[in-house]
Amino acid sequence: MIDRRLVENINFQLLFIVFILFFIGVLNLYSASAYRLEQGIGFTPFFLKQLIWGGIAFGCFFVILFIDYSHFKHFAWYLYVLAVISLALVFGFGKVVYGARRWIDLGFFHFQPSELTKISTIILVASLLSEHQEVLDVKVLSKIALVVLIPVIFIVKQPDLGTALLIIFTIAGMIFYKGVKKNIAKVLLIIFPMTLPLFWFCLHDYQKERILNFLNPSRDPLGAGYHIIQSQIAIGSGKLWGKGFLEGSQSQLRFLPEKHTDFAFAVFSEEWGFVGSVVLLFLFCFFLYQILQIAFKAKDDFGRYLVIGIFFYFFIQIVVNMGMVLGLMPVVGIPLPFISYGGTSLVMNFILIGLVTNVSMRRFIFKNT
Amino acid sequence: MSLLKPKIHWEQDYSPKFLIGGIIFIFLIFSLRLWFLQILKGDYFAKKARDNRTRLVKIYAPRGLIFDRNGKLLAYNEPAYDLAIVREDCKQKGLNVYLQYISRLFGLKVKELLEIIKKNKFRVKSFEPLVLVPNLSFRDLARVEARSEQWPGIKIIVRPRRKYSYSKPFSHVLGYVGPVNEQELKEDDSLSGGDYVGKTGLEKVFDKVLRGKKGLKKLEVNALGRVFSEQVLSPPVPGQDLVLSLDWHLQCKIYDILKGRAGAVVVMDPDTGQVLALVSSPGYDSNKLVLGVDAKEWKKLLKDPLGILQNKVVQGTYPPGSVFKLLMAGFFLEKKAKFSSKDVVFCPGYFKLGRRVFHCWKKGGHGWVDLKRAIIQSCDVYFYKESQDMDIDELHDFALANGFGVLTGISLPFEKRGLIPSRQWKLKRFKAPWQRGENLNVAIGQGYVLVTPIQVARFISALINGGFLYTPSLFLNKKQIAPKSIPINQIHRQQIVEAMIATVESPHGTARRLKIKGLTIGAKTGTAQVVKLKQEDRGKKIHEIPYRFRDHAWMASFGIIHGRKYVVVCLMVHGGHGASGAGPVVRSIYEYLSHRTKGTNK
Repeated sequence: MIDRRLVENINFQLLFIVFILFFIGVLNLYSASAYRLEQGIGFTPFFLKQLIWGGIAFGCFFVILFIDYSHFKHFAWYLYVLAVISLALVFGFGKVVYGARRWIDLGFFHFQPSELTKISTIILVASLLSEHQEVLDVKVLSKIALVVLIPVIFIVKQPDLGTALLIIFTIAGMIFYKGVKKNIAKVLLIIFPMTLPLFWFCLHDYQKERILNFLNPSRDPLGAGYHIIQSQIAIGSGKLWGKGFLEGSQSQLRFLPEKHTDFAFAVFSEEWGFVGSVVLLFLFCFFLYQILQIAFKAKDDFGRYLVIGIFFYFFIQIVVNMGMVLGLMPVVGIPLPFISYGGTSLVMNFILIGLVTNVSMRRFIFKNT
Repeated sequence: MSLLKPKIHWEQDYSPKFLIGGIIFIFLIFSLRLWFLQILKGDYFAKKARDNRTRLVKIYAPRGLIFDRNGKLLAYNEPAYDLAIVREDCKQKGLNVYLQYISRLFGLKVKELLEIIKKNKFRVKSFEPLVLVPNLSFRDLARVEARSEQWPGIKIIVRPRRKYSYSKPFSHVLGYVGPVNEQELKEDDSLSGGDYVGKTGLEKVFDKVLRGKKGLKKLEVNALGRVFSEQVLSPPVPGQDLVLSLDWHLQCKIYDILKGRAGAVVVMDPDTGQVLALVSSPGYDSNKLVLGVDAKEWKKLLKDPLGILQNKVVQGTYPPGSVFKLLMAGFFLEKKAKFSSKDVVFCPGYFKLGRRVFHCWKKGGHGWVDLKRAIIQSCDVYFYKESQDMDIDELHDFALANGFGVLTGISLPFEKRGLIPSRQWKLKRFKAPWQRGENLNVAIGQGYVLVTPIQVARFISALINGGFLYTPSLFLNKKQIAPKSIPINQIHRQQIVEAMIATVESPHGTARRLKIKGLTIGAKTGTAQVVKLKQEDRGKKIHEIPYRFRDHAWMASFGIIHGRKYVVVCLMVHGGHGASGAGPVVRSIYEYLSHRTKGTNK
């Protein structure tokens, strides 16, 4: 049963920010899906769908609260194996969408094994890290690397480089937090820059295109560079105060591509200007800060590493998405948490926030085991 | 834990600082970037956004109209409606629903529509209209428009389309327009993709005149790409109209007379060089070509056995046959030493040169003939005998001066110059010297000689207009200021013209079937062999010989109808004998002209 202390220790500041972000997202989607017709304003129901998904996501969030997070430690391996098996199944029965094989059609909904992989890998690595008191040595590191690489290779083959990189960097963040032995750190610092050029040759042509277009958007202004140029025009033309809600000409007139999903922040920036954008940026930073606070106050190592993993998961998405929209990073298809349209990612985000809250509310509950 | 040797505790002492530092770092970096984009360069991007909204659009200049000499409209523009789809606006229902709707409406396959979309995916942006079904009929247009409220993704694009009032009779003269191709785009900067340009005929030659100059307008576009404000920056300059010398009724009449048989007819005013009718039969449907034909249909046109795409009047080269005897007569009179038109030659029906025997078309022979009788009865032996010693190079120069073997300069594309042989030409072509026997073949318009009907018409005109070699004109221009003269003097021209009139008037004349009461008509028939027929085929009736081996039938004539002069040249491709193959056509034309002139005189 839920006792009073559980409710008291929920970090309401975090929940408050999450809901503010979510409603900003819905509002922004409302604007992004509105377009001026000659008579009045018509809407495509993206924001409505997002609201419905939000309800489902909140349900998941609520369910997660009831399960003591420490149980996940014991399920870690089962969840992980399930994720890898379903990834393998995607090759056999996956649905091909936009040339990529990412989904399993379960009839009533499309199951995306890479989402399950994200959660299970974070949980498993958190539990692995919590088993070691000292900073990591080669043995543990290679164990973690193996655990991460198996699903990542499947995901790269889908191909879904964005998700693969997200998982790798999240786990790398967790390892960074935990710390490694000095000599390993030195070796990594030397080897990492050397592997970067090698990485280039592993990229698909379209991925190379994106990077080249990021470095010089004008090399293909109507093709691949179009996103970058239009996004910057949208943001820049917002100026200090923005054009006002539903007034963004770039998005309303459809010059901005993917305005519901990856470029939702550009729509927001255009309509709310520098002031609005900085406020939103601050909200995100405060959100991240609150997650960190929960991590630092967690009662055990597993909880802490779990929340740190989730912190990096959000941190990387925010950095990559905003960096891309602001023209500071290449175009990678990663959505902005709570702002971009997308049911699956919304549910995922709320489940993760559920886990974080779970850790926060149980920080004074000690069970005898 | 030793106080002396404090152990670095990374996880507790450093990691949190790094993470919080990371948050602050991205806050600063992104804020700075936002400040750069929105404050520092805000005005720049605001202008860019405005430019985005305003689009410069070309205004099509209406293509010039084409009229006949009496002001009858021959080529004009009508609005054409294309059905296009704006992919961005289809999202609510889904593109597939749209495609199914369109496929039901027009009976097209969804797969084909998808194919079109795939092809243009990158060229046409998702908020721009992509043409799926061009050239809607009014019925289809009404059906689409009636339900346009429910289908915001479907757009109707209006553009001008060329239309020809009488497409088949005029197809070779006017030509047709079609979408500009890569090559034409490269050659002309003022063209842009999707423009229509003249592909052949006058549409091609006068394309720049007809086309006019495109204007420019600034559009402000709102959602759905709909225009809410419009400002003309430079108005279009309409193309110039053309008024032709052609007579649409005569042209259509002649086309009807030919009944789809392969042939070419020119009617010229000899005193000005103006062309009154220029018919190449069969004609193609130029309106259909404007809509565009698929590869299969185009191949069929190209391989048409009657040469449907060729303008036979200026692009068709044929052996002139006996028509060439008019030029030969001029040559003998002007250039042959000690020649007299009174000299007589005996025609036994054949002529021996060395061991070779050259036949006259008439087996029994013509008996004693002078130049006039030789023309009237088209006696081959007379011309064999008189030409056996001639210098082919001298004839070559003479023929060129009379407009054969050179372009007439008529303003139609792809004109052919035909062929007048010379020693140099033969050496180059066959690596062999000129043979004396070849003179004989040339003299009766066979051998290597090739002419176009327009060259013949121009030459006949010169015979009756005082010797002027006008450039045939398709326009109502004034007389050419300094036309070339043919090297045949007045007396000699008179002799040839009299012989031509006698060819019609005399009971033995080969063109006697042209005789029409009250009209002065002169003519020369020609029967041009395509291949040397085998002896056993000689006596055969025309329909017994395979079509492609049949002779070409010529009738070169002039007529004076109530004081007005006309030159009518007719060539029936594989039409058989000149008199019977081309004669009736020419007779019908004179009858029509005479009938009409009577009508107008009253």
